[in-house]
Amino acid sequence: MELNTRVDNEIVLMQKKKNFKKRRDTWLLLIPTLAIFLFFFLLPLFFLFVTSFKTFDAGTGIGNQWTLANYIQFLSDPFYISVLWRTIKIGLITTIITIIISYPVAYQITKAKPRMKNYLTLLVLSPLLISMVIRCYGWVILLSNNGVINQTLMTTGLINEPAPLLYSEFSVIVGMVHVLFPYMVLSIMGALERIDPSIIRASKNLGASNLRTFVSIVLPLTLPGIFAGSVMVFSLSVSSFVTPSILGGPQVKVMSYITYEQVAVMMNWPYGGAIGFLLILVATITILIYSKVLSKSEKGVAIQ
Amino acid sequence: MKKKLPSILLSLSCLIVYLFLLAPIVVVLLSSLTTTEYIVFPPEGVTLRWYIELIEHPEFIDSFILSISVAFGTAIIATIIGTMSALAVVRREFKGKNAIVQLIGSPLLIPSVVFGVALLQFYSWIGLATSPLSLILGHIILTVPFVMRLVVASLVGFDRVIEQAAMNLGASSIRVFFEITLPVIKSGVIAGAIFAFITSFDDLTVALFIVSTDVVTLPVRIYTYMQYQYDPIIASVSSIMIIMTVVLMIIIERVMGVGKIFSSKN
Repeated sequence: MELNTRVDNEIVLMQKKKNFKKRRDTWLLLIPTLAIFLFFFLLPLFFLFVTSFKTFDAGTGIGNQWTLANYIQFLSDPFYISVLWRTIKIGLITTIITIIISYPVAYQITKAKPRMKNYLTLLVLSPLLISMVIRCYGWVILLSNNGVINQTLMTTGLINEPAPLLYSEFSVIVGMVHVLFPYMVLSIMGALERIDPSIIRASKNLGASNLRTFVSIVLPLTLPGIFAGSVMVFSLSVSSFVTPSILGGPQVKVMSYITYEQVAVMMNWPYGGAIGFLLILVATITILIYSKVLSKSEKGVAIQ
Repeated sequence: MKKKLPSILLSLSCLIVYLFLLAPIVVVLLSSLTTTEYIVFPPEGVTLRWYIELIEHPEFIDSFILSISVAFGTAIIATIIGTMSALAVVRREFKGKNAIVQLIGSPLLIPSVVFGVALLQFYSWIGLATSPLSLILGHIILTVPFVMRLVVASLVGFDRVIEQAAMNLGASSIRVFFEITLPVIKSGVIAGAIFAFITSFDDLTVALFIVSTDVVTLPVRIYTYMQYQYDPIIASVSSIMIIMTVVLMIIIERVMGVGKIFSSKN
């Protein structure tokens, strides 16, 4: 009897020891990441947030007084509101164009034979591996005044002088579509692959044409994929910096560009910080709306 | 014939999209061969002059070496700590798990330009001078979310019976990890490392804020050069990078199959 309780006690003790060891191991696994994230992510962002409520000081950049003026200045100045609107507009147009050109590609890839499918997927994804700076530079060459597009248009007599294609909203959108297109293809492909082929067969057996099957079966079933891709493309597009700064520059100011400008050129840290946090707000609201809709519909797919 | 038309239209529209995808890359490659003093497409004549002139621009080579080292450092550290976090998140139950997952995923939601500004301010406050290390720290934040996601994906559905068997046979948990767990989740870990390397090597936005006059990564070097010069040097530098990427992809394809990497990403 006594022996039994002793053994029991020992087992309980061992279990406790094991649990403690397990908990310790868990935190050992997490600590390196958490420490780096705390010191080099949360803390810097927190300090920048604090800075955005400070006054501007021409000498040091950051004044001593607390103020809401940075946010008020942004929201009451028509110039800055127009920058915000341009950022959102470019994001929306990019998203719509990306959906239109991604759908056929995603459809073709899903329908292709395994070997071909691999090659096509690689073709679509490979631009992601090449530096964004270089890809934008390619568009600079193509769209510039003596670029091939303007030259062709001029020799065919459609225009008399080069059209200002570069450093316009047009060139920024072209660059963004090019950079963000693979994300949309992946997202739509995911949705297309989840469709049960027997549903398509059923629809055809019941006499529906290909077009009818596509419109009333395939398209609705891929809507969650389109939606997930759109959220990703939109939020990446409003926050992107490389594309608008190379293909738009000071002529096409977007939120990320004026954040950079305020900090790097004007040395106005508090105002730059405030613009930055408004930009975070725009990106976060998009994601929040998405997860709201997602939890309501319940048939959505998670953002990758 | 009636049935064929839609599929021809589909192939045609896809072809146009593929051309659009490849256009800027092909343009950069071809215009690096031009004999003109300025960049032009289609190139006039063919010369390797702009590749030879790179020798007179050692700053590009310095930046290239710096970018490679930073990308290596980032990939190694981010892969190790990202894999560790993924193990904890998938296999252990603990308080605040959700919050931690959200935290590690959140750099994907923060525009890098804002993170770059915040990091610059923080570095100047704590007095951390620009060095490969300060760049690596920034890039770790950008890449750990990807690594963790990819490793989590390969850990889900992992049959733990084999691990338990090894443990019962007396293997230490570290030995079990290296001899059993790691080989199984290998593709996720390698994909994470490659992704981290590419993201770090490609980063302009965060590095733009951190670099100093003598520590400049390659994307920043190209970006600033582009603002003031219009000669084809940039095209030749870019072409070398493109060719390297392609060669790297072919090697990876030969060694493990690219399809595998991308399919684990889905």
